[in-house]
Amino acid sequence: MRAGTISVTDLHVTFRSRQGLVAALAGLTLDITAGELACIVGPSGCGKTTLLRVLAGLQPADAGHAWIQPADAARPTAGMVFQNGGVFPWYTVAENVGYGLRMRGIAPAQRAPIVRRWLAEIGLERFADAYPAQLSGGMLQRVGLARAFAYDPAVLLMDEPFAALDAQNRLLLQQTLLRQWEGDGRTVLFVTHGIDEALALGDRVYVMSARPGRIIATIDVPFQRPRDAAALRSDPRFGTLYGEIWSVLRDEVARARDAERDEADI
Amino acid sequence: MTRRDRALSLLSPLALLLVWELAVASTWLNRIFYPPPSEVLVTLVELAMSGQLVRDAGISLLRVTVGFVLGAVPAIVVGILMGIAAPVRAAVRPLAAAIYPIPKIALLPLIIVSLGIGETSKIVTIAVSVFFLVVLNVAASVLQVDPRMFDVARSFGARARELFWTVALPGSMPGIMASIKLGVGYALTLIVGIEFVGANDGIGRLIWQSYEVYAIDRMVAALIVVALIGWLATVLLDEVEYLLVPWQATSVRIRETRMQHYARTWWRAMRPWSYTAAIIPVLLGSSIAAVAGTVDGWLLFLTLIGSVAIQGGTNLINDYYDYQKGTDRPGSIGTGDAILQGALTPRQVFAGGLVAFALGAVIGLYLVSVSGPLILWIGIASLAVGFFYTAGPFALAYHGLGELAVFIFMGPVIVAGSYYVQRQDAPLGVVLAALPVGFLVAAILHANNLRDLDGDRRSGKRTLATILGRAGARTELYVLLIGAYVVLSALVVAGITPWPTLLGLVTLPVAVRLMRIAAAESEPARLQPIVPLAAQLHLQTGVLMIVGWLVALALPRT
Repeated sequence: MRAGTISVTDLHVTFRSRQGLVAALAGLTLDITAGELACIVGPSGCGKTTLLRVLAGLQPADAGHAWIQPADAARPTAGMVFQNGGVFPWYTVAENVGYGLRMRGIAPAQRAPIVRRWLAEIGLERFADAYPAQLSGGMLQRVGLARAFAYDPAVLLMDEPFAALDAQNRLLLQQTLLRQWEGDGRTVLFVTHGIDEALALGDRVYVMSARPGRIIATIDVPFQRPRDAAALRSDPRFGTLYGEIWSVLRDEVARARDAERDEADI
Repeated sequence: MTRRDRALSLLSPLALLLVWELAVASTWLNRIFYPPPSEVLVTLVELAMSGQLVRDAGISLLRVTVGFVLGAVPAIVVGILMGIAAPVRAAVRPLAAAIYPIPKIALLPLIIVSLGIGETSKIVTIAVSVFFLVVLNVAASVLQVDPRMFDVARSFGARARELFWTVALPGSMPGIMASIKLGVGYALTLIVGIEFVGANDGIGRLIWQSYEVYAIDRMVAALIVVALIGWLATVLLDEVEYLLVPWQATSVRIRETRMQHYARTWWRAMRPWSYTAAIIPVLLGSSIAAVAGTVDGWLLFLTLIGSVAIQGGTNLINDYYDYQKGTDRPGSIGTGDAILQGALTPRQVFAGGLVAFALGAVIGLYLVSVSGPLILWIGIASLAVGFFYTAGPFALAYHGLGELAVFIFMGPVIVAGSYYVQRQDAPLGVVLAALPVGFLVAAILHANNLRDLDGDRRSGKRTLATILGRAGARTELYVLLIGAYVVLSALVVAGITPWPTLLGLVTLPVAVRLMRIAAAESEPARLQPIVPLAAQLHLQTGVLMIVGWLVALALPRT
């Protein structure tokens, strides 16, 4: 198995809540080829984030298993990009970007050139010594992205990283991501609730059901690489695929809503 | 805050002090119960001079510091442990929560019973109080660290040790810092109470003792010192916070030491090289007083500080209004303007000017109390002229009155005022003896205006130079320079000033050089040297005249 291959089999995760046990994932199975940019769309609360947390080792599974084929010992298996960036407010931009490298035990002198390269990549060289409080939301998200890329994991787990951004910034960051990924070919698992975002970025789109989450559809995205995330939207196939995904998703969104209402009644 | 609100917030405390002062002066308030601000100030200075204030404040500070460190350091350690380890939290919290609400001063008798009435009981009371306050706050701030940050760190492979050092500790640092500030404030409150009850010294004892003998002025003076210590502690802790929590939005600034940066910026903004204009006349007036009798060094020192404060304040206020009115522009020559260089905001500069004025006013009030009312009028007039030099609809400097104002105030007024502080008298001879200095200080300003003639004309700033035109302005410069030497000589001939003051004539060649440049050039860049030359002339001639007076002091009296 190639490094960066993701294999999830019959995964179950259950949370305890005031209403009793809530199944977040029930029997989720998913296989992602190494080097693929896979997008997961699903209604809110369907367990997308839970899946990523299990893969990142932040959340134990109750049953089944989730596996990422590791690379050699020197390279980390998985790195995560969080919603809103997940940037440490107490570190400067440069310290944040270098955090993963620091955790890998790389000495400051070796970290510096890598950090500089990634700061240049995201256009924040001038903010190297600034603190996050001085940055805008879009800039923070870029820092989170650079931190994950600098960490250089075999698999990049991205949890709705651009959801909180305005449309223009989202487009710019999507292009940044594509540019980086098309260069290095690592596996990316990208969770989003935007169908258009999934189509613009992904090789394949996985649709998740309402809670408890399972994969209910897989759509191959035919657009060639390298892609322009902005120009893509005028392609006629884009509309067809959008409609296809939405027809699957619509029922799940309705179900998720009903479930929420039921919970409120309890 | 609007401009009006800002003015109100500054004026209201001053107005209160003024009303208080006047109410006592008119016997409407009883002086014994409500000593006026001026009397409190005199008492404060007396207490400071006698060394008692320093001794009492020192011992109180020592108790607070030792008690605080003994309480806060273990509290921070235990608090962090409570935050990260549930068992520690479970064990300590009930105890701490039970003791926390007790007003700690109530524990003092208990502690005295077991430890005696000496220093130990005072320090332990503070340490115990600080401990329980800080420990709960630190524990809470560790628990409040954003749990997502732990996830982020874990996703990059951070283990327990790394989670502590890169997330738990820095994440709770702002809260820890806030707890420390809280603890210091609490300790300062406590020490005063503790010293009320059982102490032979300390600032609290001073307050209580003053109450017992009904010395309200001393009581208020001691209260001012307590407030001052509290304020200093805040400033110091802000500095510590900046070092430990540099990422906080409030403290995000340039990373180098803020104190140094500030000191340098302000030092430049206040244009210290212009202070000779404030120092020379004070020294001259005091030298003349020395010839007439004796000079009190302490008063001389205060007069110097007061004079420099008003000068520095005037510089800052001028910068502010020049900026507001748009006369100083980036690229204009010779401006020492911190606003244009972006180092300070206009508001900061304005506030700094008012602070300097306030310092001058406080010193002035003290000098009024030891010399007499003339200083009050001089002080008020100086502040008014300093302020309205560039402020208000009728800014003196913009109506061709700058030279006149400077001539009068940086010449005869300061010289006579400094004399008056020492001798409680201002004879005409002193005023006349100040004239050469007045001419030369006006010449510095005029050299400046002559250089900026074209620029000022464009921006509509009406200086004497723009009114008179280039030829007239040159003549004015000659009059001021030659006038200084003519008056200097005439005073000696008339027997008003002693003959050694003729030493001042030695600088004549510098004046000639200056006049030659002024006659030959009209471009600002080429005229630039006349400004430092004029300043040099004022300084050297002034010093030589002072030397002349001091020489006269050594000569046998006729």
